[in-house]
Amino acid sequence: MAVSTRWITTKWSLAAGILGLACLLSLAAWAEVNGSWKNGEEVYAKVCGYCHQTGIGPVIKGRKLPPEYTVHVVRNGLRAMPAFPAAFIDDKALREVAGYISKSAAEQKQEAENER
Amino acid sequence: MATNNHNVLPRGIEPSEFLTAVEKFKALLGAENVLTEPSQLAPYMKIMMPVAESEHAPSAALTATTVEQVQGIVKICNEHKIPIWTVSTGRNFGYGTAAPHHRGQVILNLNKMNKIIEVDPVLCTALVEPGVTYQQLVDYLKEKGYKLWVDPPAPSAIASPVGNTLDRGVGYTPYAEHFMFSCGMEVVLANGEVLRTAMGGIPNSNTWQTFKWGYGPYLDGIFTQSNYGIVTKMGFWLMPEPPVFKPFAIKYDKDEDIEDLVEMFRPLSINGIIPNGVVLVGTLWEASPTVRRSDYTTEKGATSKAIIQRIRDEHQIGAWTAYGALYGTQEQVDVNWRIVTDTVKAAGKGIIVTEEEAGDDIAFTYRADLMRGNMTLVEFGLYNWRGGGGSMWFAPVSQAKGSETRKQVELATRILNKHGLDYVGEFIVTQRALHHLIDVLYDRTDPEEMKAAYACFDELLDEFTKHGYGVYRVNPEFMHKVADSFGPTQRAVNKTLKRALDPNNIFAPGKSGIDLES
Repeated sequence: MAVSTRWITTKWSLAAGILGLACLLSLAAWAEVNGSWKNGEEVYAKVCGYCHQTGIGPVIKGRKLPPEYTVHVVRNGLRAMPAFPAAFIDDKALREVAGYISKSAAEQKQEAENER
Repeated sequence: MATNNHNVLPRGIEPSEFLTAVEKFKALLGAENVLTEPSQLAPYMKIMMPVAESEHAPSAALTATTVEQVQGIVKICNEHKIPIWTVSTGRNFGYGTAAPHHRGQVILNLNKMNKIIEVDPVLCTALVEPGVTYQQLVDYLKEKGYKLWVDPPAPSAIASPVGNTLDRGVGYTPYAEHFMFSCGMEVVLANGEVLRTAMGGIPNSNTWQTFKWGYGPYLDGIFTQSNYGIVTKMGFWLMPEPPVFKPFAIKYDKDEDIEDLVEMFRPLSINGIIPNGVVLVGTLWEASPTVRRSDYTTEKGATSKAIIQRIRDEHQIGAWTAYGALYGTQEQVDVNWRIVTDTVKAAGKGIIVTEEEAGDDIAFTYRADLMRGNMTLVEFGLYNWRGGGGSMWFAPVSQAKGSETRKQVELATRILNKHGLDYVGEFIVTQRALHHLIDVLYDRTDPEEMKAAYACFDELLDEFTKHGYGVYRVNPEFMHKVADSFGPTQRAVNKTLKRALDPNNIFAPGKSGIDLES
């Protein structure tokens, strides 16, 4: 999930364009067949955070990223960011992690990183 | 169903035949586990290979959770001659992600077949399904309080022990050769039968995960890097957590130091002084957690030697950095540490860095994590070097001799630079042989660079083959070419086995160059 920090600076223009499309994405639930993700926080800690909390991918917490944007990028990938299928992160867990990221507060260290 | 993924169909299959098979898949698995719409298949279109996504577009993706479902899928595939490309998690991006060998194959994703069936804390064994990730296994071991380690490859958290082992991946602890530390498989064959290999053939056997060989021909090997069956369970040996773990790095200044490094580490590896998969890391790989090429230049083409030297100077990175670790009791570690440090001092060069001296250095921490089986994805920093999401692993095997490694580095660097790309490589030392891993990194959003990367990889294969070198693993785009490099007799034997075990050619045609239709 290594994405240049540069693209995040233009995320809003991208996000605006993608929002409409993202709304059309199928969000059919996987009916808890998998059941391996407890909640969005766990998905962040055990997948996203390994890159986005370590400086490998851009900071995504504390930026009020629209959940639809996160859903779209996770399902489609973006440049170096790989795509994750529903078999890996089911739709419910994806919605939860997108919501978690959207509502998360910026950490002090991250705020400094965002200034880069 | 009016449309599927851009009307992609399996090779030689009529639309009506495909639709009939899809309906049967839905009846078997539930419609929600049979994906055919472009929006559903979008995640499977993201690839890092230098070709159009459409060339590897699947016609559908299935999700199965039980052995019986896998058997049912195999039955339907036989009835309608539908080819399936099976993935466990499909997360090794530089070897092809989840992309099928060629357009139109149906992906069978076993990610949700993710039960940890058994862990024996006394014998230090595990039996797991293909969708289990290293993260899931580590969480389980922690929850149970078992002092056991896994040996992950670099994309640890999101990769599957079964998938990685079936592709004969390597890690960084003393259990680095993954297939060597696997024990027993369950395989769904093309005729629908379920094979349990080795001791698994004995009813009520309790040695399936403890004795690899069984009786008669050892079959497990033919189910790795192949398309002769679908592995639905695999046994592993887990490493007991040692009382003391001591990671270290040794930095070397000059490119040519790789020769001395290999000569120094080979005996330490063969003699078991350093028991783990020692890595010898080149400058740009070592820099990848924190340095981007655009920090130094925006010019296209190969990065100059002057810039690489600046990176070394400004970030205190060696031309080569060796990472190893010692494991055992304090007494054992003390004795071996003395041997390592005396060897380095006697060589007269190299700066030793201990964990205490490294502090929170991200590159050191990442390597130490890998050598103790912790979860980390810091390796993906490699993708920031050029950006743009292009990556292919070029992975030739080398003798563990200094002169050979230097020859390979110089040959690879010359070819990469000729195509405007950089040498970003490392060696993993496994006693007598080295996995030479080179990440061919390029900007996939730049059509010219994408073309250059393809030509570069093609030339790397040609030139290394001419010099008598072979790669141990490759992405789907180059599987036939690599199979050719291993000679017609091996190809013929592989095809004979395929004909015998999968006469309808339904399992992953093209995997490792094995395909009854080509």
